[in-house]
Amino acid sequence: MTFYFTGIRSFPKLWKSNPYLGLGPGHAYLSLLLKDCYGIRNYKWFSLKPMSPQNTKAMNLLIAKARYVRKRDEGSNKQVSADSPHLFAAGAAKKRSEMNPQSKDHFRLPVRNIIQLPTKPLNSEEWNKLKEDFKGKTNFENWILSQMVKYHSSIDVAKSVLAWVAANNNGVIGYDLLVKYLYLCVFHKETAEIIDVYEIMKARYKRLESGGYTLLIRGLIHTDRWREALLLLEDLKKVIIPSKMNYNDCIQGALLHQDVNVAWKLHQELLGHDIVPMMETLKAFFDFGKGVKDDEYSNKLQDILLYLRNNQLYPGESFAHSIKTWFESIPGEQWKGQFTTIQQSGQCLGCGKTVESIHLSSEEYEFLKERIMRDVIDGGDQYRKTTPQELKRFQNFVKYCPPFDIVIDGLNVAKMFPKARESQVLLDVVSQLAKQNLKVLVLGRKHMLMQNSRWRKDDMEKVQKQASYFFADNISEDDPFLLYATLHSGNHCKFITKDLMRDHKACLPDAKTQRLFFKWQQGHQLAIISRHPGSRITFQHILSYDTVVQTTGDSWHIPYDEDLVERYSYEVPTKWLCLHRKT
Amino acid sequence: MSVSITFLRPVTRVLVPFTLPRKRRVLYTTILQRYMSSKIPAVSNPSKESTSSSEQLELDGWKITMKSSVQEEGVSTFSSNKDEDPLAATRELIEMWRLLGKEVPEHISEEELKTIMECVSKSSKKKYLKYLYIREKMKKAKQIKKEMKVAAKEQVNKDQLPETTKENKQQNFLFLRLWDRNMDIAMGWKGAQAMQFGQPLVFDMAYDDCMKPKELQNAVSQLLESEGWNRRDVDPFHIYFCNLKTDGAYYRELVKRYGEKWNKLLLTATEKSHVDLFPKDSIIYLTADSPNVMTTFKHDKIYIVGSFVDKNMQPGASLAKAKRLKLATECLPLDKYLQWDTGTKNLTLDQMIRILLCLKNTGSWEEALKFVPRRKHTGYLEISQHSQEFVNRLKKSKTFTSFPRGSVNRRSQKS
Repeated sequence: MTFYFTGIRSFPKLWKSNPYLGLGPGHAYLSLLLKDCYGIRNYKWFSLKPMSPQNTKAMNLLIAKARYVRKRDEGSNKQVSADSPHLFAAGAAKKRSEMNPQSKDHFRLPVRNIIQLPTKPLNSEEWNKLKEDFKGKTNFENWILSQMVKYHSSIDVAKSVLAWVAANNNGVIGYDLLVKYLYLCVFHKETAEIIDVYEIMKARYKRLESGGYTLLIRGLIHTDRWREALLLLEDLKKVIIPSKMNYNDCIQGALLHQDVNVAWKLHQELLGHDIVPMMETLKAFFDFGKGVKDDEYSNKLQDILLYLRNNQLYPGESFAHSIKTWFESIPGEQWKGQFTTIQQSGQCLGCGKTVESIHLSSEEYEFLKERIMRDVIDGGDQYRKTTPQELKRFQNFVKYCPPFDIVIDGLNVAKMFPKARESQVLLDVVSQLAKQNLKVLVLGRKHMLMQNSRWRKDDMEKVQKQASYFFADNISEDDPFLLYATLHSGNHCKFITKDLMRDHKACLPDAKTQRLFFKWQQGHQLAIISRHPGSRITFQHILSYDTVVQTTGDSWHIPYDEDLVERYSYEVPTKWLCLHRKT
Repeated sequence: MSVSITFLRPVTRVLVPFTLPRKRRVLYTTILQRYMSSKIPAVSNPSKESTSSSEQLELDGWKITMKSSVQEEGVSTFSSNKDEDPLAATRELIEMWRLLGKEVPEHISEEELKTIMECVSKSSKKKYLKYLYIREKMKKAKQIKKEMKVAAKEQVNKDQLPETTKENKQQNFLFLRLWDRNMDIAMGWKGAQAMQFGQPLVFDMAYDDCMKPKELQNAVSQLLESEGWNRRDVDPFHIYFCNLKTDGAYYRELVKRYGEKWNKLLLTATEKSHVDLFPKDSIIYLTADSPNVMTTFKHDKIYIVGSFVDKNMQPGASLAKAKRLKLATECLPLDKYLQWDTGTKNLTLDQMIRILLCLKNTGSWEEALKFVPRRKHTGYLEISQHSQEFVNRLKKSKTFTSFPRGSVNRRSQKS
């Protein structure tokens, strides 16, 4: 029996899967592991070894460790501090996921490299000998070059391979080998070699494919023949749309050789293809513009910043530094930049200015409301998420009710604390909000009204006394109703749920609407973070400001991503670059 | 591939001495080399004594040969393809990809090229090319298998030739060898019987606008298979294809695949909806999204299966259809009987019909759920165990009403 240890990757599943199973006897894992062993594939240079006793030990250790981690986690009561990052702060999801202990260890199969890569050029006999030692299924030349590419061997060694192949093959070398060699040359920035290979390819082949073109473009931009890279780009355009990488290389090349017009032309072309440019490309423009006093150029750079704003893109840390440097280098205008954060009130710590509010304009608001109704709730088939009768009922309900202050996703809130009774949690939340004289709406499903151990009738009656309520059918979706009811009530209304609503965001047709939705969500979603005995619920604070590149003419505020923080797509950066002009 | 080889192995020894057409011979030798682990003959090469000083020269030698060999041939260069049509350019690109060892087909027709040109994105192009590549590979493998079979047959015939001349005497048989035909006729009779008295089983064909061409083809393949399984059963269903538009893509594809047989099929294909043909209260729409679990197979109900292959995740499409017509819905009790592991709970149409046929004939769930793919579950659940778990769950939910303070993502975990 051979064991295939990448099966361990599905280990986390074990911790998460079934809370009722608990951590029982170890054989449960073993059986699961065994199941994962079916996927044995004979990889080229992996030797499959029978499971050694050492590995079993490791596995048991892993299980024991996980058990321990879990116990400890249960023992400690994590207090979430009041100044915790908001729900959409960069890195928050990562933190949340770390609260669920998971095994991070991965077993690596012992890779038995059949052949040691030579470090210096070999002659034909030596290569022949190596070839005889090689027992893989692929052809040897290809494999050895691939390995060299992987470990970035020196080009002389690769050359000796090519020389040997050419000698065996009356002077002909296959395209695949040439491309791999070219990769090595580009990696080591050996321009002379790149030019040579370029000449050979030009002579031998009528046209190349995307990979070859990409490498050639990347190699040629550093040479005097960089304009030929543009010709290659043209060639590539005939068959496929070039990648942002190709454009990036060409633009970098143009800037390197002081040809600004070509660079901007390529940039326009790239935007015309609806490609999102690489941040490096934009950074290159800023780096190039340092110290240049040219109104046209600086206007174009401002356009780039506006592009970032409109597409809700955030520069990386080094790009932010480039922006800062460029602003500070503009002669005659005394810009001053600093890296800061924004206070909860929306004031910049650097200059004290208030950044843009998170609230949508009234047109945007109406537009979003209509879109939610049309795409998320209706979606072309009203029966998918609800029924027409129910929709009617809901619309009438919303119309004749006064606007609410808080809309609660009953099921989500109730299930927040698995060890408490659902109806009890819901009642606690509702009564706490009702004490503050807020008009509350509870959305839920009809099964919540059925008496059982989790949903007590008397609790639900109390809830209904303190709040308005709307219960959808058990097979209907309740989230879209929640969104619409909140939007319908107006800008002051918030909704309570821990759901990030990503699936509903995905129902929206285009990126612009999705961004609008996200902006609104950041400003209106309350998440419960803890519930103390004594039933006091604490909420996550809501962002009052919009995290987006913004300007007031003589100041810029630019949020940026830190290099060491992993940001998920539904999160926003927390660090800002604040630039203002001294007057 | 390896299958054909294992078949070949015993024969190889016999095969080698025989002369084969030239192309085949090459193939055989390579296969034999690969699988009988005969050594590849070492390539003889002029071994140059390389000294350290001349090494550099030797290393760059290949460039000269590469360039010079070309100049003799006079291959056109990059600059000469300024006004090349995009179709040819695409063909070149694919050829270069193939040289690079990417998964693209060797031969490509004009039509396929046009399809590639019409692909919107780079990734869709690559996907389509990969599909063509795999198809080409399969074709080749089949071809090879076929040739091997032919060769093996010839071999057997040659061996038996001398014997057959001797054996020319009369033998007594009870039947002529017409089994296949008789089977067909018998199945036809059974089918006719099912048409008169069988329990209806409806395939709802109203999903053709939710599917891409690829999915539709898969759906039709599954329908063909389902119909085949039904035909072979002891007590077939009377199959209905409802909502089948005669000008629709579904109809065209079905007729194309069945050919002559389409008009002789013993099933009812109709443009009408199932709610027009049967009383509403006896219809049960089977869908995996249904909240109601099927407990027993009822012989007086009409089950409806949506013939819908859904690869781009449109959850709740069939449930929406059933809701619209106010029909009862049910789903298979997969969770109750199986330890589900991976994969969707949407089963293919042929799996569905086999499960239903099995239920109809035996009524045992364990027997019927044999047809659920084994990769999707890890085994059968003991029913007693299932109920035990349920009891435990209830117990748990009652015991914990107080709970410790915790963080946002606390799960209930009992060690």
